[in-house]
Amino acid sequence: MMFRVNGEQRSWREGMTVADLLRDIDDSHHYAVVRIDHKHVSRPYFEKTQIPDNSEVFLIPLIAGG
Amino acid sequence: MEYKIKPLKTFNYDRPIIEKGYANQTLFIDISVPDISVKPVDEKMKDVFIGGKGFDLWLLWHSVKSTTQWTDPDNAICIASGPMGGTLLYPGSGKSIVTTISPLTGSVIDSNVGGYFGPYLKFSGFDALEVKGKTEKDMVILIDGIDEKVEILETSGLPDDSYDLSAILTEHFAQGKPRHISVVSTGPGAKNTRMGCLNFTWYDSKRKRARYKQAGRGGIGSVLSDKRIKAIVARWDTVKVDTNNPADKNALKTVGRKHSKEIVELDPKQNEMATIGTTHLVTIMNDFDLLPTHNFQYGKHPEAVNIGQEVYRPIFDPGYDGCWMGCTVACSHGVKDFVPLTGPYKGTKVFVDGPEYETIAGCGSNLGIFDPHTIVEMNFYCDAYGLDTISVGTSIAFAMECFEMGLIDETQTRGIHLSFGNRLAALEMVHQMAEGHGFGLIVGQGVRQMKSIFAKDYTADPHIMQDIGMEAKGLEFSEYMTKESLAQQGGYGLALKGPQHDEAWLIFLDMVHNFMPTFEQKAEALHWFPMFRTWFGLCGLCKLPWNDIVPEDNKDSLEPAKVMKHVEWYAEYYTAVTGKKTTPDEIIRMSESVYNFQRIFNLKMGFGQRDHDDIPYRAMGPVKPVEYESRHERYDKELVEKHHVDITGMDTEEKVRRLRKFRETLYEELKGAVYKRRGWTADGIPTLETVRRLGIDFPDVLELLKAHGIE
Repeated sequence: MMFRVNGEQRSWREGMTVADLLRDIDDSHHYAVVRIDHKHVSRPYFEKTQIPDNSEVFLIPLIAGG
Repeated sequence: MEYKIKPLKTFNYDRPIIEKGYANQTLFIDISVPDISVKPVDEKMKDVFIGGKGFDLWLLWHSVKSTTQWTDPDNAICIASGPMGGTLLYPGSGKSIVTTISPLTGSVIDSNVGGYFGPYLKFSGFDALEVKGKTEKDMVILIDGIDEKVEILETSGLPDDSYDLSAILTEHFAQGKPRHISVVSTGPGAKNTRMGCLNFTWYDSKRKRARYKQAGRGGIGSVLSDKRIKAIVARWDTVKVDTNNPADKNALKTVGRKHSKEIVELDPKQNEMATIGTTHLVTIMNDFDLLPTHNFQYGKHPEAVNIGQEVYRPIFDPGYDGCWMGCTVACSHGVKDFVPLTGPYKGTKVFVDGPEYETIAGCGSNLGIFDPHTIVEMNFYCDAYGLDTISVGTSIAFAMECFEMGLIDETQTRGIHLSFGNRLAALEMVHQMAEGHGFGLIVGQGVRQMKSIFAKDYTADPHIMQDIGMEAKGLEFSEYMTKESLAQQGGYGLALKGPQHDEAWLIFLDMVHNFMPTFEQKAEALHWFPMFRTWFGLCGLCKLPWNDIVPEDNKDSLEPAKVMKHVEWYAEYYTAVTGKKTTPDEIIRMSESVYNFQRIFNLKMGFGQRDHDDIPYRAMGPVKPVEYESRHERYDKELVEKHHVDITGMDTEEKVRRLRKFRETLYEELKGAVYKRRGWTADGIPTLETVRRLGIDFPDVLELLKAHGIE
């Protein structure tokens, strides 16, 4: 029951959301977007988006766009 | 189809050796005479204008008078790469910048584009190309760096659309080596509208076809078409690291490999641009209420997920999609074996270059269209017809809202029910623009002209159209919702050419990352961000590697919005190519010179003052009660907490009026703050001190400033 965050293994727990993850990790950056596998999740949905077991999570440091 | 191409004028030349990124001469062509000649590039020109857009502006400045109109023979199309253009080792080093007097704005426009043309032009011996004049017959210009000749060719029987035309000309001039060819062309839409684009090709060896990128903004394709130039073709040999003859090849290799390696490592962890391009932005913008829908009325829609990256990922044809050789961002994706349901290619398989974010938002969500295949079809026909997808999308969106509001009806649209979400009607508009008939002929004139026509001929209310018509300086807005971002309102309104995001894309940095919470920080960002972005256009570079894929430790830096690690790499890169030692501060200075010169160019053409930086109210806030209601919590809070308004018992229409007053005042204050930071007068004109500091105090510049009371 593991998942990866920016390439590093972490323990997975049932019902864990993106917001839970960001509270857990030692990183004060105010992330606006994360990617779970190929799906982007934006801040308004951090609280309600659960992280699946065995998934790959990427914390996107900046959205620079156009 | 049988076609004929015969030489009308041939100019043989000795190709110069490229020295530290420069050919040290430019190519001049007057298609009217016809005349072909070479102009020297001196050190002063390189020091002040650097290359790319800087060279273009300098050439165009001397070509046009203050009274020159876009259709005048004096109007020139200038195309240039830059000193780093054509470098193989550094990602995003194949850009061209194009300038001309725009059919939409009446002033100078610039548009940057990928493809091989700019580097091939330089390696053929020319830092920039300046084409002026007009002819009565169709012409093709060939710049052949291999055989050291420039030719003006008279043609007949060539197809009108860019899709077939670029393929035929690639084969015609390739002599069996299609990768040696880059074609600049447009299509029938450019002839019949003011929003024609230029297609620049790069040859895709794997798929064995000419692919293309667009110099989209401002109607440059319409100028090319008006001159009766079917295409401009560059022919060049194999490109090597030494072709650009950098001052310090080892230093170039070192810094180029660092940046390339970082992109290869981090892009898959960040936004996967090498796989899905800019399509990731669609759902992100929607999530943050920034995706324009229904002519910029709203910022989100429940169906946006249907046109996001998860849908386009499997539609894109997998493979390498770099619009310049060796670029590791490689974001120019396309759709293979697409079968249009309408128009001249109906039922046949075509390859579509795109769509990118702007096209998806412009020809999709902003029209209330959430069908990915309709957007691909709009994309295909806009490219083939030589039309800018942004101006097309924003113009149709305006017409659709006017239709839904009853400002126009089916009498004017010739029976077309032009409501939001009507996919066939949107496609029909594009076909009519290309054919030059029906209501599409009017839409193709752009939002500013439509406002005038609708008011004059159809008695539509000019005041409401002024509020909802999303153009500024005559150019249609690109596809971001700015109502809640003062910094992005400035990013659009204060942009030199009109509301295009390539000068100052601050919306996310401002609204979401909150990097500039104070008024002063917003004004400061509106100084430094355009300066960074301008510099890429001087050097022949793409802006994406700067801040779209960022170092993992960037978030911990003092100024994460600036991505200073990359800026330092770019300073090293410039030094390695040109041999001129530079720093991040000096990069800003280079840009400032050209940026201020372009502002003064606007002044020369009768614009470039405070009132020309106005934007429609919809860019600042809700025009209609229904827009207010869609975000009433935000707006009520602003009125109460920020402006101390008692809204008890107040109806929505009154709230809209009160909010408008505050927001319009704030935008005017922003203008003043930014002008001051940029070293301009309160009317938005660079001061004498500024032009002297930047070395652009040329006699005719001083004379122009004096005529406006600056001395």
